[in-house]
Amino acid sequence: MRGELSPGAKVAIYGLMSVLLIPFVFPTWWMITSSVKPISDIFAFPPDLIPRRVDFSTYAKVFELQPFARQYWNSAYIAAVVTAGTMLFSSMAGYAFARIRFPFANALFMVVLLGLLIPSEVTIVPLFQMFLAWDMINTHWPLILVPIFGAPSVFATFVMRQFFIALPAELEEAARVDGLGRFKIFWTIALPLARPALAAVGIFTFLHSWNLYLEPIVFLSSPEMFTLPQALTQYTDAYGGAMWNIQLAAATLTAVPVLIVFIIAQKQFVEGLAHTGLKG
Amino acid sequence: MSTVAANGTPAKERKVARKRPFWTMERRDSLAGYLFIAPQLAGIITFVLIPLGLVFWYSMHEWNVLGARFNYVGSRNYEQLLSDPALLEVLGATGIFSAGLVVFNLSLALLLAVLLDQKLKGITVYRTLFFSPVVVSLVAWTIVWRFLLQNNGGINSILLLTGVEGPNWLRNPTTAMISVIVVQVFKNVGLNMVLFLAALQGVPRELYEAARVDGAPRFKQFRRITLPMISPTILLTSIITIVGSLQVFAQIAVLTQGGPGMSTTVLVYYLYQQAFQFHRFGYGSTLSILLFVIVAVLTFVQWQMRRRLVFYER
Amino acid sequence: MASVTLSKLRKSYGRMDVIHGVDVEIADGEFVVLVGPSGCGKSTLLRMIAGLESITGGEVLIGDRVVNDLEPKDRDIAMVFQNYALYPHMTVAANMGFSLEHRGTPKAEIAKRVKWAAEILGLDEMLERYPRQLSGGQRQRVAMGRAIVRDPQVFLFDEPLSNLDAKLRVVMRGEIKSLHQRLKTTTVYVTHDQVEAMTMADKIVVLNGGRVEQIGAPLELYDRPANKFVAGFIGSPAMNFIPGQITASGFAADGALLPLPEAAHDLPPRPMLYGIRPEHFALTSEGLAATVELVEPMGSETQVTMRLGGTPVIGAFRERVRAEPGETIRVRPEIASVHLFDSDSGKRAN
Repeated sequence: MRGELSPGAKVAIYGLMSVLLIPFVFPTWWMITSSVKPISDIFAFPPDLIPRRVDFSTYAKVFELQPFARQYWNSAYIAAVVTAGTMLFSSMAGYAFARIRFPFANALFMVVLLGLLIPSEVTIVPLFQMFLAWDMINTHWPLILVPIFGAPSVFATFVMRQFFIALPAELEEAARVDGLGRFKIFWTIALPLARPALAAVGIFTFLHSWNLYLEPIVFLSSPEMFTLPQALTQYTDAYGGAMWNIQLAAATLTAVPVLIVFIIAQKQFVEGLAHTGLKG
Repeated sequence: MSTVAANGTPAKERKVARKRPFWTMERRDSLAGYLFIAPQLAGIITFVLIPLGLVFWYSMHEWNVLGARFNYVGSRNYEQLLSDPALLEVLGATGIFSAGLVVFNLSLALLLAVLLDQKLKGITVYRTLFFSPVVVSLVAWTIVWRFLLQNNGGINSILLLTGVEGPNWLRNPTTAMISVIVVQVFKNVGLNMVLFLAALQGVPRELYEAARVDGAPRFKQFRRITLPMISPTILLTSIITIVGSLQVFAQIAVLTQGGPGMSTTVLVYYLYQQAFQFHRFGYGSTLSILLFVIVAVLTFVQWQMRRRLVFYER
Repeated sequence: MASVTLSKLRKSYGRMDVIHGVDVEIADGEFVVLVGPSGCGKSTLLRMIAGLESITGGEVLIGDRVVNDLEPKDRDIAMVFQNYALYPHMTVAANMGFSLEHRGTPKAEIAKRVKWAAEILGLDEMLERYPRQLSGGQRQRVAMGRAIVRDPQVFLFDEPLSNLDAKLRVVMRGEIKSLHQRLKTTTVYVTHDQVEAMTMADKIVVLNGGRVEQIGAPLELYDRPANKFVAGFIGSPAMNFIPGQITASGFAADGALLPLPEAAHDLPPRPMLYGIRPEHFALTSEGLAATVELVEPMGSETQVTMRLGGTPVIGAFRERVRAEPGETIRVRPEIASVHLFDSDSGKRAN
């Protein structure tokens, strides 16, 4: 419907979009500004869109009350390992299902797709028992193994398969004539060409791991093992009430780095996600 | 140069029977295929299929960790499920939450995508901003909204400036449910928006040009061309969104803890409470089975609807 | 360099047979074209030589080595694909040197060979570009460069010109031919275009439905097609086939009596097809009467669709024919260029 718009229509669209933008942008703004307000100003009326007084001491408290740096590291390295692992194993499986003919390939693909029907919430009870039996409770193993190999990776495999199906077969045949075996074809031809799909899978996987909440609170029990989402909710006073400014400061520290990366690379982010096998 | 006629005999008579090596090209390739899928397949078996089997097994047991009891009770957990007075409330909350989420999410995503599909200056900035909550940490986002939705929080302050006294959002069953839905939609609508935008941009321009030559007004173009052409994406996003809505946990845990009362206790949250707060693993497993059945049935039904609703498939 | 031998070669996909026992001998240094309509199995055959398709039965020999169970990389062949199959993420130089890299060739040697190939193909200036920055003809040259740097025993071409426009196709046809004359590497070339086959080949293999119809030098196929299929496939516009019967006075067709070569009079009086190429009609005042239906001036020649008795035929004349539809012209088939085919089997009879 990309016809020419009249000036009036343009103004109307800009206006509508700007109003719609408020609930998307204001919370982030409010989080950042409130995190540097002294506690007495946090619920001030009328509300201050720009802080009257700035107090950075809340940020120090974030690190005093919990091993926040450690928790930050936990989240970051878990997300990194999960992302790298998922990208590797999902692209391998997606490649094989798309490009290699082997007996029972379709049946096995159906088995893998079952993972889409069985989100990890369904299996959380037995997973807890399994990791208990393996002595892995209060370790990071469940948060690494289940996303890389379990249900969350199926979506990644599916996206990669869709991408590889569309890759011209002649490229691989040329590579075979040029002397490459299957693994080298995958590594030097297919994978470099799959960069857009890999980027999308990487972003999804990272965000999924970064946002995990149910699994950490089920599997982890000591603060130095916690991940960020879990840690954020722990800034409460003796009565269980939220210590708002500290919580918001910790939330800001959690959210802002990813936001900055996103704004720098927004084109790759948005278009990468849009141009995967998801287009339908 | 030796020429062989079509039905002639080959120039050299040779023994055709040779010993074929065991590792033929096909076999080597099949082996490669199995090796490539092995990690994923092993993972699915270990972390999805075996646990699913165990869930069935557990669901037939009374199992209280504190009491260290693990007794086979057959279908008793299922009978309990049917007579659980909370179940109707939980299913009701789940249904309202999922339906509200899908309707609000898809319509907002489509509206935003149509707006962003216009040729206007600075449209990428808008696109970036609408998408930005997707990358904000889920719990951080929820914490901010919880802060905003406090009785004396940002939203009610702003309402008060305009002379309206806002409700205590998270303490009233109706507004709590609305809050949970809205917070989740603003967080993730960017994903569907981007998918819709890609679909809209994939509609061939000629179709609109033809429709304009035929004299179809804009809204009619949207209904008769745009919607049918992007229907595969609508179906896909609705499946993803519905299944995703059934897995929403963090938002509820942080915003309302299922309250007030049980008004926002969706199935996953109830499952978590039963299994990990009340340590009733057997009954928790039964609830898991219920969740699995709901996800499976919804996916199947939507997949079946594809034939009737999707006008156009690539 | 080496010869290539296909012996009783068969291919089936499940129960469906697509190649029914093909025997072809390709001599060292020969340029052989596999030609046939789409679905005749020519590409499958080429891919079986390359090792990209498995072999159901029979043997493929390169030199005197049976290569049935060898990987493509171990067959010492190079292939040029229809869509070029250039690696989009590599420069022209990297594309051309890629196969050598995987054979452990020293870097300096790779660079030397790439440079050599680039010079032959006029790609010197493009070595650092990416495939997307090249025109269709340049991509085609890179694909050929990738094949020649290897100095393989056999070149395989799979419809390499079908993605080019008509003008460029003629140019590249010449380049491939002169490249072959320069390198003298055994070449197997697949095309559906009989003009390419005629102009490039030392030897043509005509395929149809997974069987060899005829093998021979281009002019052999043109002059003495072994059957009706080859006769109709080679030559453009296609040969006319006029059904009828041999009689003492000539070939009796529907409403016309056509002249026969001397030797043909001894053939048994059976239903036959009288084959005559459009260019083998002559305009002459004492010829057979034909009713003009359509006149198409091409410049160098004029094609006339006409009715010879009850049978529609096409004639191609050097002269400019100025006749209106409905008029009668007089034409005579050149007796030396008459082909007779058995009506039932389609086999050549004279």
